[in-house]
Amino acid sequence: MQSIPYQAPASVSEAVALLGSDAEARVLAGGTDLLVQVRGGVRKPSAWIDVKRIPDLLGVSVEGDSIRIGAATPAAVIFEHPELQRLVPGVAEATDLIGSTQIQGRATLGGNLCNASPAADTTPALIAVGAQCIVAGSGGEREIAVEAFATGPGQTALAQGELLVAVRIPKPAARTADAYLRLIPRTEMDIAVVGAGVALTLGDDGTCTQARVAIGAVAPTALLLEEAAAALVGSRVDDDALARVAAAATAAARPIDDKRGTIAYRRKVVGVLAKRAAAIAANRAQER
Amino acid sequence: MAVVVFSSALAQHTGGAGRVEIEAARVADLVKALCERYPGLRGHIDKMAVAVDDEVHSDARFVRLKPDSEVHFLPRIGGG
Amino acid sequence: MSERKFKQVGTRPIRHDGLEKVTGRANFGADYSLPGMLQGAVLRSPHAHAKIVSIDTSPALEVEGVKAVISGRDFPIPTREGDRQQYGDVPDLANNVIARDKVLYHGHAVAAVAATTIEAAQRGAEKIRVEYEVLPPVLDIESAIAPDAAILHDDLVCQGPAPVPSSPTNVARRTLLSGGDIEQGFADSDVVVEREFTTPMVHQGYIEPHATVVETLENGNVTIWCCTQGPFAVRGLTASVTGIELSKIKVIPSEIGGGFGGKTTIYLEPLAVELSRRSGRPVKLVMSREEVFRATGPTSAGRVRVKMGARKDGRLVAAEVVMYYEAGAFPGSPVGAGCMCALSAYCFDHFVIDGYDVVTTKPRVAAYRAPGAPIAAFGVEQVVDEVAERLGLDPIELRLLNAVQENDVAPYGPKYQAIGFRETLEEARKHPNYSATLGPNQGRGVASGFWFNAGLQSSASVHMNEDGTAIVTTGNPDIGGSRAAQAIMVAEELGIGAEQVVPLVGDTESAGYTDLTGGSRTAYATGMAIIEASQDIVRQLRERAAKIWGVELDGVAWEDGRAVPSNGAASDVEPLNLAEIAAQMGATGGPIVAQAAVSPPMAGPGFATHLCDVEVDQETGKVTVLRYTTVQDAGKAVHPSYVEGQMQGGAAQGIGWALNEEYIFDENGVVENPGFLDYRMPVASDLPMIDTVIVEVANPLHPYGVRGVGETPIVPPLACVANAVAAATGKRFTDLPISPPRVLAAIDGD
Ligand SMILES: Cc1cc2nc3c(=O)[nH]c(=O)nc-3n(C[C@H](O)[C@H](O)[C@H](O)COP(=O)(O)OP(=O)(O)OC[C@H]3O[C@@H](n4cnc5c(N)ncnc54)[C@H](O)[C@@H]3O)c2cc1C
Repeated sequence: MQSIPYQAPASVSEAVALLGSDAEARVLAGGTDLLVQVRGGVRKPSAWIDVKRIPDLLGVSVEGDSIRIGAATPAAVIFEHPELQRLVPGVAEATDLIGSTQIQGRATLGGNLCNASPAADTTPALIAVGAQCIVAGSGGEREIAVEAFATGPGQTALAQGELLVAVRIPKPAARTADAYLRLIPRTEMDIAVVGAGVALTLGDDGTCTQARVAIGAVAPTALLLEEAAAALVGSRVDDDALARVAAAATAAARPIDDKRGTIAYRRKVVGVLAKRAAAIAANRAQER
Repeated sequence: MAVVVFSSALAQHTGGAGRVEIEAARVADLVKALCERYPGLRGHIDKMAVAVDDEVHSDARFVRLKPDSEVHFLPRIGGG
Repeated sequence: MSERKFKQVGTRPIRHDGLEKVTGRANFGADYSLPGMLQGAVLRSPHAHAKIVSIDTSPALEVEGVKAVISGRDFPIPTREGDRQQYGDVPDLANNVIARDKVLYHGHAVAAVAATTIEAAQRGAEKIRVEYEVLPPVLDIESAIAPDAAILHDDLVCQGPAPVPSSPTNVARRTLLSGGDIEQGFADSDVVVEREFTTPMVHQGYIEPHATVVETLENGNVTIWCCTQGPFAVRGLTASVTGIELSKIKVIPSEIGGGFGGKTTIYLEPLAVELSRRSGRPVKLVMSREEVFRATGPTSAGRVRVKMGARKDGRLVAAEVVMYYEAGAFPGSPVGAGCMCALSAYCFDHFVIDGYDVVTTKPRVAAYRAPGAPIAAFGVEQVVDEVAERLGLDPIELRLLNAVQENDVAPYGPKYQAIGFRETLEEARKHPNYSATLGPNQGRGVASGFWFNAGLQSSASVHMNEDGTAIVTTGNPDIGGSRAAQAIMVAEELGIGAEQVVPLVGDTESAGYTDLTGGSRTAYATGMAIIEASQDIVRQLRERAAKIWGVELDGVAWEDGRAVPSNGAASDVEPLNLAEIAAQMGATGGPIVAQAAVSPPMAGPGFATHLCDVEVDQETGKVTVLRYTTVQDAGKAVHPSYVEGQMQGGAAQGIGWALNEEYIFDENGVVENPGFLDYRMPVASDLPMIDTVIVEVANPLHPYGVRGVGETPIVPPLACVANAVAAATGKRFTDLPISPPRVLAAIDGD
């Protein structure tokens, strides 16, 4: 590999300044996507800006009505966080699916979002729980909903010189729970062929009062599905409602045929996973 | 005399004969005698593995034949 | 033989090379470095099929740091002289190492560069100008054998029994075996099942990519360090391809991170030799994983049609098997072996086995564990299963009714000597896996497998240290625990512990000629040489004791690692142990050393029966393996842990082949999944713990009864998994891999 200048800023402002001064510089988090891309000749950054030493980007905290996850927090730290596991089990389960134990020690949430793979596992899970991206640029901070963050494969809403600082998840209301499922042909070390995340709230009588359904790997970006959510709201999350969720997910999917799966297969299975995730989320909500 | 049993593929070169008796001390002599009797076998059986009395040799040229030996020619096999 | 009470054979000592391996100290192919060494890069074809119109390598030399550039023209025109049959055709091999006039697959080497850094070498390679005349790719059996197919080799004329094409063709060879009267056989059958099966190209997936370091001296001597299953094969083949005298080449095998047959040939070595000769500096060449997938030998894709007839009582009567195997760019698929294995587990009075070796513009296939047999078994063992189902018979019962045993005639001609097939079936039937309760959407599969075990040439030397310990040296790289097995054999004969024996892997100048570690032959053939040499050592030890005691040789017996008086001679002396005798070597005749060499016939074949339980997700088509059991006749398990390891490893690879592995080619013949992310081999969590049952029916050709074990275990799993999925879903899966999309499409009936 060529030698590439390396810097490890200690603050967000320092990082933003470095990024602003060099359009070809790249943020380096865990490197589990980036190093593979550089080695494969897909990317040729002019400089590494390592963000793992910026305190604002590290750690999980639950403050007031939200959960904050620093962008450079590795997957293993996230899913091992007991409170996060309890509050948003679907998000925990999505981070726990990334790669393998070794990969999870490096792979960060921010890297997963910023790499903007249509198959990124945390994205549908975060969309389902209504997460926001906190982004810093030379002009200060702004928030972008996760569903609007990726704009295409490998493309994000980040402007040149901007840095993803953290992800903010609203603390779930009472009787609210989430779930994330993905399909891979193996059990680990694979890329989602299809993924689905669901968060929902149940009323006292077991009727669903709110829902968000998101699917991944079946379109250029993860999709938030209004219709699938509508199929849940007002229902008791029974077989009928689940069948409608599945149908809505299948209808919304716009997958491609590739070495990882066919169009027909992805459309079918995204429905299956969406309904299964909804059923799990409903069970979890019931127990709260 | 040793008995040679030919596969149906090799029998195409022996005018259909599937079992041939032949006098030979060693496999090399047997191959030579067979190729003289059936010139079509030349270039085929000399590159094959040989089973003599149910033991398969990848290079059998100097294996001695007993008066009642039974001989088969087989494709060579590569192992992994 | 069967009476012999073993003390060491059958024990499980810690492997001698274990510490270095688990601590990362062991040196593999890419770990070697020499002062002044250059790094090499290979320029590979961007086309699957093209004529090379011209190559201009000179621009590469202008890149700073580049010291040598070569192309196919820099090698002697390969001839058939010195063809070493067991490794295949030398001209084809040479043309595969580096293309001369034509490229025959995407990734085919066309030039190579050596430079002071890998980046400079890569930049140099990018600068080489190659002009191609692109030809149509030939990417499957159908199009290869079509009348208007693009022909890969203008001089390829089909070999084998008529009718075969007489003009140049992509069919290299036809193999035909038959017996009885096939039409009559089907007429006599109460049920006939016929199906066609396909399997895709799959790779061995060894963890260690190919790597070599080569040093050449002014006097023309060449030293090659590389990871290989056969240093002598590397020497012989490199000599043939480069035109260098064999005796000037020394090959030092590194530790080897898997091979499974894939490291029985050469790719990089001649390139590194030539680059080193031209630059006068040592040269290192290491493949990336992508290069391994694109340019080294996978095993064949296959198409197998099986028609089988049986009587109501369960007797198999007739079978017809037609097989097409893809050889990739050059002739030499293992279809011949596939033909010989296809029906070898059962007695058929009437059979035809017809096999075709077909070239396509894909990587040249190399050996992969029991080459040819799993593809045939995938078809045959599923049809056997279906016959049992149609007759309402238990699949093991049906197999027992028809299983070959000693003195039955194999379809390829000779009679079987002692074999242990029935024993594997009986053990499988008794195993708890066979009676475990199955839940909804679960199914159980059974399949058996047959494979030869090679003989070939081996040598071994044993010498005693002054303290009574021993060293054994062979020319077999240790790929599956052979060092431990070899030490056990020496220890058994000498009557000492395996830890008192140091097993060494020699190089081509320190070990006598020895064929590959492959063909499941090492414990068998090299083992015979080791046992013979060890017995010679024991004789010498007795001689030395006889000298010390002043008695004749027959006055000394060897028991439990000690010389003891026998025949009433010198009954007043104390037994002498190894250390005591070794300490007096100088006074009794000098060093105690022995060597032996063998070239035995093939070991008796190995049989295995596997059981597999799966659960199928009816909505996603995903198959989960719940239980897997392998039962195999090892003849005699010298170190049972490594026999079990082979059984588990073969099963794991076979399960991967069954469920997810496949080369995916685009329409231009480019592999789309040249990495482990998308070439989906199983990961550890995909598999249950694979249970093993070793059956021991002694191989009459080996002093301990050993037969090979390394290859047989990959034969049954493809069909075993397919049979289990069929039981779980009620659908037959005739095309591999049995991946989720395929399963779901079958379940949904689309
Ligand atoms: C073997 C293996 C298995 C994998 N399995 C999975 C899987 O199962 N599921 C899955 O979703 N992914 C998987 N991945 C992909 C990868 O691990 C994840 O996407 C991971 O979360 C990326 O995080 P990272 O910290 O390593 O990112 P990096 O590689 O460091 O960065 C990725 C991209 O994001 C940019 N970036 C990173 N952080 C920021 C930031 N704070 N602000 C702005 N830009 C930033 C980088 O510049 C780069 O372009 C796998 C990867 C490997 C190698």
